[in-house]
Amino acid sequence: MTNHWIDLRNSDVLLAMGSNPAENHPISFKYITQAQLNGATLISVDPRFTKTSSKADMYVPLRSGTDIAFLGGMIKYILDNKLYDVEYVANYTNAPFILGKDFGFKDGLFSGYDKAKRSYDSKKWAFEMDANGVPKMDRTLKDKRCVLSLLKKHYERYTTKLVSKITGTSEADLVKVYKAYGATGAKGKAGTSMYAMGWTQHTVGVQNIRTMAMIQLLLGNMGIAGGGVNAMRGESNVQGSTDHCLLWHILPGYLKIPSAADDSLDTYLTKNTPVSKDPLSANWWQNYPKYTVSLLKSFFGDKAQKENGFGFNWLPKVDNGKDYSWLSLFDEMYKGAFKGFFAWGMNPACSGANSNKTRAAMTKLDWMVNVNLFDNETGSFWRGPGMNPKDIKTEVFMLPACVSYEKEGSISNSGRWMQWRYPGPKRLGNSLPDGDMIVELGLKIKELYAKEGGVFPEPILNLKWDYMTHHEFDPHKAAKEINGYFLKDVTIKDTTYKAGTLVPSFAMLQADGSTSSANWLYCASYTEKGNMAARRGQEDAVNKIGLYPEYAWCWPVNRRIIYNRASVDLKGNPRDEKRWVIKWTGDKWIGDVPDGGWPPLQNADGTPNPASKHPFIMRKHGHGQIFGPGLKDGPFPEHYEPTECPVEKNFMSKQFVSPVAPVYGSDKDEIATCDPRFPYIGTTYRVVEHWQTGLMTRPQPWLMELQPQMFVEMSEELAKLKGIKTGERIRVSSARGSVDCVAMVTKRFKPFKIAGNTVHEVGVPWHFGWRWPESGAEESANLLTPAAGDPNTRIPESKAFMCNVSKI
Amino acid sequence: MNVTRREFIQITGATAAGLAVSGIGFGLSPVKSHAQMLKTKYAKQTTTICCYCAVGCGAIVHTNKETGRAINVEGDPDHVINRGSLCAKGASLFQLAENKNRLTEPMYRAPYSDKWQKVSWDWAIEEIAKRVKKTRDAGFTLKNDKGQMVNRTTAMASCGSAAMDNEECWIYQALMRALGLVYIEHQARI
Amino acid sequence: MSKAIFVDTTTCTACRGCQIACKQWHGLPAEQTTNRGTFENPADLSFNTYKIVRMREEVIDGKLNWLFFPEQCRHCLEPPCRDIAQDESSIFRDERTGAVIFTANSKSLNAQEITEACPYNIPRAGEDGTLAKCDLCNDRVENGLLPACVQTCPTGAMSFGDLEEMRDKAKKRLEVVKQKYPKAMLLDADDVSVIYLVAYEPKYYHEFAVASRSTGYDMTRKMALRKMFRPLANIMSSLT
Repeated sequence: MTNHWIDLRNSDVLLAMGSNPAENHPISFKYITQAQLNGATLISVDPRFTKTSSKADMYVPLRSGTDIAFLGGMIKYILDNKLYDVEYVANYTNAPFILGKDFGFKDGLFSGYDKAKRSYDSKKWAFEMDANGVPKMDRTLKDKRCVLSLLKKHYERYTTKLVSKITGTSEADLVKVYKAYGATGAKGKAGTSMYAMGWTQHTVGVQNIRTMAMIQLLLGNMGIAGGGVNAMRGESNVQGSTDHCLLWHILPGYLKIPSAADDSLDTYLTKNTPVSKDPLSANWWQNYPKYTVSLLKSFFGDKAQKENGFGFNWLPKVDNGKDYSWLSLFDEMYKGAFKGFFAWGMNPACSGANSNKTRAAMTKLDWMVNVNLFDNETGSFWRGPGMNPKDIKTEVFMLPACVSYEKEGSISNSGRWMQWRYPGPKRLGNSLPDGDMIVELGLKIKELYAKEGGVFPEPILNLKWDYMTHHEFDPHKAAKEINGYFLKDVTIKDTTYKAGTLVPSFAMLQADGSTSSANWLYCASYTEKGNMAARRGQEDAVNKIGLYPEYAWCWPVNRRIIYNRASVDLKGNPRDEKRWVIKWTGDKWIGDVPDGGWPPLQNADGTPNPASKHPFIMRKHGHGQIFGPGLKDGPFPEHYEPTECPVEKNFMSKQFVSPVAPVYGSDKDEIATCDPRFPYIGTTYRVVEHWQTGLMTRPQPWLMELQPQMFVEMSEELAKLKGIKTGERIRVSSARGSVDCVAMVTKRFKPFKIAGNTVHEVGVPWHFGWRWPESGAEESANLLTPAAGDPNTRIPESKAFMCNVSKI
Repeated sequence: MNVTRREFIQITGATAAGLAVSGIGFGLSPVKSHAQMLKTKYAKQTTTICCYCAVGCGAIVHTNKETGRAINVEGDPDHVINRGSLCAKGASLFQLAENKNRLTEPMYRAPYSDKWQKVSWDWAIEEIAKRVKKTRDAGFTLKNDKGQMVNRTTAMASCGSAAMDNEECWIYQALMRALGLVYIEHQARI
Repeated sequence: MSKAIFVDTTTCTACRGCQIACKQWHGLPAEQTTNRGTFENPADLSFNTYKIVRMREEVIDGKLNWLFFPEQCRHCLEPPCRDIAQDESSIFRDERTGAVIFTANSKSLNAQEITEACPYNIPRAGEDGTLAKCDLCNDRVENGLLPACVQTCPTGAMSFGDLEEMRDKAKKRLEVVKQKYPKAMLLDADDVSVIYLVAYEPKYYHEFAVASRSTGYDMTRKMALRKMFRPLANIMSSLT
C-alpha cells in the first residue's frame, strides 16, 4: 500500500476493484465504513456481487479479465471531460515528457515487437533528451508527442460502447463509475484504489495495476491522504517476506539478483545504479552501492572486504534473460530438474495454478523438506488422490513449526507497518520456531563443510551466522542486523557514530564497508533508541489524519504515506487543507515524514528553488510515470483477452491475447480457449472464514463449521440451463482437471452480455484440499487453473479461465 | 510488552464485580458462562499480531501460567488499527494453537513407504543437512554454458514463506543464497 | 441502568467474527455442518451455537440486496422465557446488566415450553434438557469488558452501552439511515436489550427478526406475547 489501513477513512471515493475487502481484509471495513458514514462513496466492481458489493453505494459487474478495458475507458472519460488535475499532471508526472520518434502503437502492438522472441525492445519507447541529458518536456502539455497527447490517442479507442461490448458492463454503469471516480480529480477530493489478487492474477496483471496508477496520477490522488494505490496483501507477512526478497529476482531491499554478466561488484553496481543529469531529480537509487555493500557486510561480516568485492561473487548468479519464478520452478521440477525441495511454510500442492502438474512434479524429487503447523497436501503428496506410495521415491521430512504467538519476532502489514509479536503459550509438543530450524540447519551444514570440505564452500563457511542466544534463535539479533550497524567509527556531518552501534537511518549507510544493513528499507527500525516495531504510542500526528507515527514502525523511515511530497503544491502548501499530509513552514516540513527534506519546488514568491527535488524520488527522473517504459508488455496498458476466454477475438485490436505472456508446453499445460467443452468463465476467490489454501483454517473446527465444503457459485440462469439445484454436489472441470463442489445457486452472479452473446461465469474458492477436512472429499480450485502467467511477474492467471459445470 | 493502563483495566480489572452473578443468592451455575467466568484473571497476557491477512490486527493472548497453554485470544482494544475487533479468522486464533490436529514431532517418510514415522530433531536436521550437501556438491554450477561465473545450484529449489517473521525470512534467504539456490520463491508470486 | 446492544445491520459485513468470538469466549464446540447452498452456517441456533449471522439475497425495488442479520437473544426487558419458567433459579434477569441468564437448573424446565415462549425462537436444549443461549457475556460485562461479539465487530455494526444510550444511538442512526432507506426501522426497541436496525421490512431478514411480525405461534407463545407487548400498531411508535 502506498497509504495504510486507517487512511482509508480519509477517502471520498473508494474503488474496490480486483478485491473484496469485506471478506478478505475484514478490518479494512472499519475504515471504509467510517468513510461512508462521513459521506464517502464505495464502488464495488466485481464479476460477482460480493459482501463488499452488499455494502457499496455502487455495484457494477464486469467480466473477469477485462479490467484494462474498463479502466482504459475511465482514462478516456477523465481526459475527454478534463477531470484531471492539470497542475499535478504537468509538474509531478511524466505527462509533459516528449517521446522519441521510435515509439508507436498499431494493431494492438507497440513498436519494437519481435514476434519470434515474443518480446519487445523497450529502447524504442525512450524519451527524447535535451543536450544536458534530461528528458525534453512541454509543461503546457500541448506538444503532439508529449506523453499526455499520446495517452489521449491511445485511449481514444476505449469508448463506453466498445468497453461495454468487451466487459459486459452496461454503458450507463460505466459512466456512473467514471463520473463518480473522476470527480476525485477536483482539489481537496481524494479517491483510493483498493486492489488485491483480482487484479494481479492475470496475464495482464501488472498492467491492470498500472492503469489504476495512471488514473491516480491523472487525478492527483498519489501522495495524499485518502488516496494512493493500495495493494491489500493477503498474508500477514507477505509484505515483509517480499521486502526481504524470498523471490528469485531480488535481494533484500529490492536490489537486483546478480546475473551471469555481472562478473564483479563494480559491473553490477554500474549496471544497476541509475544516473540522472537533472539537478532537480533526487534519483534515490543513486544510493544503490551503499545499500548493496551494506547488505554484503550483513551476509558475510568480516569476510566481506573491499579486496574481494565484499563477497559479491559468493552470491549465486542467474543467467541473463532466464526466468526462475514459480511457474518455471514447477515446470522444471516436472521435468525432473531438481533433487531437493524446501516447501517451507507453504502448501504448493494447492496454492499454485495447475496443481495436478505441481503434484506430479513432486513425485520426481529425491527429497523434500516440508515445514508447517499441520500435515498438508504438500508434505503428504505421496498419499494424495491418484498417488501410489509404492511408486514414489521421494523422501519427505515434515517439521513441526510452532504458531506465531508461541514465538517472538516481527511481521510487516500491508501498510508497511512492522509490528513486534511476543510469545504467549509455550511451544506445543516438540514444535519449534522456523528461526530455530533455520539456524540449526545452517549450523549443521556449516559444520559438514568445515569438516568434509565440498564444492565452493566459501559462501557457506563465510556466511555470518551469529543469530543465537543461549542456543536458541534470537530474533532481536536478526532484527538488529536487518537494521544495520556501524562497523567502524563513522563521522557524518558533525556527528561521529561509534563502531558497534546501530545505524539510525539509511541516509547514513556507506558504500565502503563501514556499515552493515541486511535490508536498507528497514534501517531505522531497530536503533539505539530501541525496537521501533514494538512501540504502542497512542498519539496521532499533528495533522490528525490517523498516521499514529509512534505506533509500531513503518518503512521507509516511518513514512506512513509515500510520495507525500506530491500532496502539496509547488510552494509546499497542502493541496487538501482539511486532510493535509505534510506542509512547508518556511524552513521545514511538518506532518508525516516527508519524501526527502528538500524545500518545495518554488519559493514563496513563485521563483524556482534550485535546492528542491521532484516529488517521485524513486524514479530516475523524479516524475510519476503515466508513461511506463520499464515493463515487458508496453508503456501504456492495452486490453488483451485472457489466455482462456469466451470470445473468439479481441474487439479492441487485432492482437488477441498478450503478445508477450509466457507459455509453458508440458503435457499438463493444456489450454482451451473458445472450446465448446469449457463454455463458462471460471474465477477463484477467498471467503472470510478461510485463508489461502486453507492450511491454517481447514484444521480448525470453528471455521469449518462456518465453511465446511468446497462450493461453486453460479447464477440462477446457468443453474436452470444445466438443471442444477442449489446444495447439490456437482463437478467443475477445465482442460487441466476437475473438482467436485456443492452448487451455490445465487442471484449474486448474473450472465454477461458480451458482444450480443450470453456468457456465464462461475466462481470457486481456492481454500480446499484433500487432507482437511478428513473426509478427503474436498479439493483445490487450483486443479482447474492454468499455468499461464503475467510477462512481468509470471503470476498465474487464476482469475479468468474457462470451465464447465456438470451434474455428477 | 507495554500494556497500557486502559488495556490492563479492561482485561484484568474489576474482577470482584464478576462474582456478582454467582453472588445473587440462588447458588446458580449458568450453563456455560460460569465455567468461563474470570478465566483470564490469573493468565499471562501477551500481545500478538494476527497471522492471517495483512491488515495487521493486534490481539491479546491469555496464557494459563500453570499449563503454559492459551486460554483466550481476543482483539487488542489498544491496537490503533483494529481497536479490539477481529474477523472470523482472527477470532479463532485460539484454536490455531490449541488444536489436536497440529504437528508436534518431526516426521519422516522413507522412499516408497506408505507411512510417516516419528523422528528426533537431531536426526532430522542432520539428515537434511547431509542431503543438502550431497545434492549441492553433485549439482553445483561454477560456470554456465557461456563460460560465465555463476556459482549456483539448480539441483534444489525453495518455496516459502510469507508466514515467517521478518527475522526468519532474512536468515532463510541468506542460508538459501549461501547454498547457491536461485530457484527461491514464495507466496508473493502466486 | 441495565445495558444494551445496538445492532446496525446496515453496516454488518457478515464477517462472522461475532459467531466465532462467541464460541471462543464461551468455549463452545464446533458443530458438524454441510454446505447447504448458502454461506450461512450452522443452519440453526443450538445448545452450542448462540449466534448466527443470517444471510438473505433479496431483490427489493428491483435492486439486489444481500441482507445480514446477526441473530442472538434479545435479552427482553420482561423476558417471556423467565415468566413462563417462573423459577428464578433456572432463568433470571440480572437487573444490573440486563442479561437474561439460563442456569444449569434449567434442566428441570419444560424446554419446549420455554423455547416456544420466546418470540424470537432463541432458547435451545441440550441432550439432557438443559437450556442455553446468549448470556450477553455477563461475566465480561460484570468485569467492565464488552461482550465478545461486540468487541470483535469490525465495522461498529454492534455497539454496547447503557440501555438509554443505546436507544438514543439507535434513534439517531435510524434518522440517518432513513434518508437512504425510507422503510428502515428499529425492531421492538422498547422491549428488548438487543435493538436491531434494519433497512427494509424485517420479513426480508429472518423469520424471527421481529416479535410482532412472526407467525405460527401456538397458544403458549401468544400468551407470552400478549403479556409482553402492547398492541401491534404501537410497537414501534415511540421510536420511529
